[in-house]
Amino acid sequence: MPEIVRKQVIPGDVIVSGDYRPGSFVERRGNDLIALRIGLAEIVRSDAKVIPLSGIYIPRVEDLIVGKVSNMTGYGWEVDINSCFLGYLPAQFVFGRDFSPATHDLSSRFKIGDLMLAKIEAFDRSRDPQLSIRGPGLGLVPGGELVKISPTKVPRLIGKKGYMIKMIGNLTHCDIKVGQNGLVILDGPSEGVVNAVRAVHMIESEAHLADLTQKVEAFLSGGAVGSGSGSGESQVPATSGE
Amino acid sequence: MEEKRKLIDENGLRTDGRKWDELRPIKMEVGTLQNADGSAYIEFGKNKIMAAVYGPKEMHPKHMLLADRAVLKCRYHMAPFSVDQRKNPAPSRREIEISMVIREALQPALILEDYPRTAIQIYVEVLQSDGGSRVAGITAASLALADAGINMRDLVVGCAVGKVDGKVVLDLNDTEDKEGSGDMPFAFLPNLNQITLLQLDGLFTPDEFKQALEMANQGARKVYQLQREALLKKYFANTTPETTSEEVGE
Amino acid sequence: MPQKSYVVEALRRAQLLELLSRGTRLDGRSLNEIRKLEIQTGLIEKANGSAMVSLGNTQVIAGVMIDKGTPFPDTPDKGLLIVGAEVLPMAASYVEAGPPDEKAIELARVVDRGVRESEMIDVSSLVIKEGKFVYAVFVDVNVLNVDGNLFDATNYAVVSALLTAWMPKFVLDGDAVKNTGERMPVPVSKIPVSLTMASISNTLVADPTSEEEAVMDARITLTTDDEGYICAGQKGEPGSLTQEQILTAADWALARGKEVRAAIKEAAKRA
Repeated sequence: MPEIVRKQVIPGDVIVSGDYRPGSFVERRGNDLIALRIGLAEIVRSDAKVIPLSGIYIPRVEDLIVGKVSNMTGYGWEVDINSCFLGYLPAQFVFGRDFSPATHDLSSRFKIGDLMLAKIEAFDRSRDPQLSIRGPGLGLVPGGELVKISPTKVPRLIGKKGYMIKMIGNLTHCDIKVGQNGLVILDGPSEGVVNAVRAVHMIESEAHLADLTQKVEAFLSGGAVGSGSGSGESQVPATSGE
Repeated sequence: MEEKRKLIDENGLRTDGRKWDELRPIKMEVGTLQNADGSAYIEFGKNKIMAAVYGPKEMHPKHMLLADRAVLKCRYHMAPFSVDQRKNPAPSRREIEISMVIREALQPALILEDYPRTAIQIYVEVLQSDGGSRVAGITAASLALADAGINMRDLVVGCAVGKVDGKVVLDLNDTEDKEGSGDMPFAFLPNLNQITLLQLDGLFTPDEFKQALEMANQGARKVYQLQREALLKKYFANTTPETTSEEVGE
Repeated sequence: MPQKSYVVEALRRAQLLELLSRGTRLDGRSLNEIRKLEIQTGLIEKANGSAMVSLGNTQVIAGVMIDKGTPFPDTPDKGLLIVGAEVLPMAASYVEAGPPDEKAIELARVVDRGVRESEMIDVSSLVIKEGKFVYAVFVDVNVLNVDGNLFDATNYAVVSALLTAWMPKFVLDGDAVKNTGERMPVPVSKIPVSLTMASISNTLVADPTSEEEAVMDARITLTTDDEGYICAGQKGEPGSLTQEQILTAADWALARGKEVRAAIKEAAKRA
């Protein structure tokens, strides 16, 4: 295990000086590596990066997200993806090449207010993100409870190789879909959902603390209402590729 | 400007009991509003100011967006009850000018190129005003911007100096601002040492000007320490880097 | 300050309606329960009076400014009482800066009437010289964070600020008015308290959150005073209410009004 040095930083702070490679949210200024966000700076071998603790969701291609239909145009759906950019799902991606507004009714698939699990298909600096629902588990979210967390806490909620999210799902018998944009859908028995929601909020507020995994595990196995220790149905953690 | 009464007494104390190089009491809190993407509240002497940031967000109107960076907008506004005589809520020319200088003071710190085709909106609302509200507003807005998670090269911190009874003093209060003979609001990026706000009213000799700049710089650095503390308190309360988790990263 | 509405996710709406049919709400409250109310007065020393109120996550601040003024020509024997409200653009992402739109104007006028019609302050006692000099009492409210029910939060803030405000003592000095430098309390005779309720699928809920307001059909605000009178009312939103709902609303407004009045008095004592 390489040694990881951590520092609490605010924008403008010097993380380290010398021959290091600036990673995310870090800029080189002469001999110093400077943090550009509030967060936890990590120095591993010769790399220095900052894990931010605040900030809205900026889309990346291949991200799995939960979006809310906010409008319908002639040729597709405008989707609120909890970002400064509005997502767009082309009707052709859903109805196929022979789509035409005359013969196909958009609202037969998604209406305003509907939630969907989708993928960021295309996004660059010159246009709004384009979505697609081609893929396993993507499409309309029919039911469940919606929870919003800061997108910066999503990696923590998923855990290393999905460990945390799988654990929560198992202990609560819930199916949990996590969008990289901070929207989480939880579906399952009502007691399980209540506990799973609590676990999600716990992770959001204590994302930077050690032993969080054990703490959540203890909460769900022990004192939580109606939690079982048996292996319930396993669920699919919606990660963007771990 | 003629001064009518003594603003510094025989003991060298000012109208509020401070010495010439003393800051007023300052309080800061980060994350005070639920809906805003970032927010902060500051008390600088009797100034009480709320700052909020929304952004990056969709830009309206669309024809004014920039292809390669975010558009930065700022609204400085004083509540009707914030000054001695009730102020009409409609924006005055003074507020419009101050909105602009605040925006121009914060812009150099923000990496707007990271957010093309979006807008970043800053709000500074003065709930009570007592001299130096624009620099206090800049200080709070800087916290709100960091709280919102906007990429920043540095924080921006402000402090005003002035001239009272012929002496250069730090952090003017309202009385000194109105009855003194010089007022110089100042704001800078503390790590980069780049000055982003400088205004001046009054008569300063070149020596006094140099002295004032130096005093503002030192005073602002003290305010910067309070900014750090306020940010660390919200984000890292009761923790040290050693107790932070190994699992945090992706 | 123009406001766009926002779209509640279909899942949330379904959840909300399901809970309502069982007599409870998304945040666990019962139908006629109000959120946590926090009142802080006297925080703006330069103003004659002030109050910061948070009702759940809705947060507002009211300031009272009192000076001498000239009466309106048609009411020479009455002082001036002017209540204004502004939803600051920082209060929610969909609020834009600008002159007040119809919603903001409705808010200001409903709160103003609640104070005026209840005769909380006897404006005839605010006269210095009839026809020439009167006290002008301005109450301005800034909404800092929106999470539903701006009407009640604003009303509680206005009332708390007036209750704890001071007036300068003016006297006539020949043809002019002199400020003696003394302070006196504002002549408040009662404490009008409003309760706002939303009708969602024919179910009435008190103190709606932003989400509940986004799915409501109609809204009713009723203001009651210390003696049990209903002194102001406003139905809002393009939906309708049944007579039964309105009578239930009156019951709730009287009951909750008493509790909130006690909380306002308590906060005023701490000023």
